[in-house]
Amino acid sequence: MEYIISQLINGICQGAIYALMAIGYSVVVGVTGMVTFTHGEVMMLGAFASYYVFLWAGNNLFLGIIASFAASWIVGMAVYKICYEHFFNAPRHISLICTVGFSMLLKNLAQILFGANRLPMLNIIENQVYSLGPVKINLLQIVILLVVFALAAVLSLFLNRTRAGIALRAVSQEKTAAYMVGINVRRVAMTGNCIGCGIGGVAGMLMAIYYQTCYATMGGTMSMKAFSSSVLGGMTDVRLSALGGLCIGIIENLGITFSSANFRDAFAFCFLILVLLIRPQGFAVKKGARP
Amino acid sequence: MLKIEDLRVNYGYIQAIDGISFEVPEGKIVTLLGNNGAGKSTTLMSISGLVEKAGGTITFDGQNITRMRPEKIVHLGIAHVPEGRRIFPSLTVYENLVTGTLGNKKLTKKRQQELLEEQLVLFPRLRERLKQVGGSLSGGEQQMLAIARGLMMDPKMIMLDEPSLGLAPIVVEEIFDLIVRIREMGKTVLLIEQNASMALAIADYGYVLVNGVIHIEGSSKELLANDEVKKAYLGA
Repeated sequence: MEYIISQLINGICQGAIYALMAIGYSVVVGVTGMVTFTHGEVMMLGAFASYYVFLWAGNNLFLGIIASFAASWIVGMAVYKICYEHFFNAPRHISLICTVGFSMLLKNLAQILFGANRLPMLNIIENQVYSLGPVKINLLQIVILLVVFALAAVLSLFLNRTRAGIALRAVSQEKTAAYMVGINVRRVAMTGNCIGCGIGGVAGMLMAIYYQTCYATMGGTMSMKAFSSSVLGGMTDVRLSALGGLCIGIIENLGITFSSANFRDAFAFCFLILVLLIRPQGFAVKKGARP
Repeated sequence: MLKIEDLRVNYGYIQAIDGISFEVPEGKIVTLLGNNGAGKSTTLMSISGLVEKAGGTITFDGQNITRMRPEKIVHLGIAHVPEGRRIFPSLTVYENLVTGTLGNKKLTKKRQQELLEEQLVLFPRLRERLKQVGGSLSGGEQQMLAIARGLMMDPKMIMLDEPSLGLAPIVVEEIFDLIVRIREMGKTVLLIEQNASMALAIADYGYVLVNGVIHIEGSSKELLANDEVKKAYLGA
């Protein structure tokens, strides 16, 4: 029983990271209106940025968050310029294929720049375990949960309380109408894309800290997890995507409790397939829509 | 105020608009009539910069806006209330109204507040629903929201694309009363309608568009008396 509870906590913690990835992903997809396959590499580069910051500046988590956010923001700008900007009026698969190609480029550039080996991440957070009866949780997990919740709260405040946030949501709901009310749609799409990428970068950093390793090809699985979580949440709904991420994290960890850790990804994707078989729209319900 | 000369728009090989010219004088309601596919909506879309133009010029207040970006055109004072309303379904009514002011940096906080108050006086039903999401409104309320959102841009001219589409007759009458009030506020109105008799009842001037060219034009009295218009659009 204790084992199951601790796996549940692992699952919630990992799910929180997936949730953050999915939040970033769904912001990007919502605001640009195009599916991206570069998100994994964007997250990977965020993780590397924090790796070097920790190497040079020591155990400064806050600096790491800033660095990974900023690095992924900049990569996001490049992705936007190369993969989206010219293709807004083109068929959607053009930019999709462009993101696939760009992700390969980034992955291989990273292998050239940072090497193909797994780099060990420094221990940013000391290994301290708190126990509350049968529940054991370590400091790292608490920190990860705090970072995820803080970022999600900041994003939610931004989206719901500021004018820029309203513009962002308007663009992601109805691009034509957004043009008609005089919103500079391209600029908003660019900013939104960068915000989504920045959040992804922080998620990449958390992933690297959690597994204590950072490598050039880590984006592949991360990208698939972010994509699946986002699909579960109906692609563009930020909150439901976060829920999707949390579910996948929990399912994965409960799954490996009863089998082997090798099946981690299998559980995640089987869960996704099952959900989509039963509810193709994911968790999403058409809110506010009149029949 | 708005002058269109020899405007041409192509969709692929199809000529949607084939060289139309017309004018919208300040402070008037001008209506564009025509059947489905005549090119009415395309005309509006090309005025607000949403479609590529194959030729012709559009001038607004003496300024050439033919190749301007859509958000710039809005800032000059042209609001477009699109066909099918296109409100933001999961933003609240309040947020929907705020989007009207987002692009225009010249609007001060105070002016924004005034504009909001103006709209809520004009559309009292929206005041009751400020916190509701746009998608939960009825069709008529959504249309009012779309018009109010257009007016939030503080435009000199407002273009309404089929505001009566899919609404109950009683609501349509309400909307048309509002359009008259908008003109009384000193704004110019360019109105597109399939419901020709209602449009001509409130308009000052009208143009009839057939297959991408202007077929008949005249004051609304003349059009109402025109035999061809009567036959084709007024069902007489």
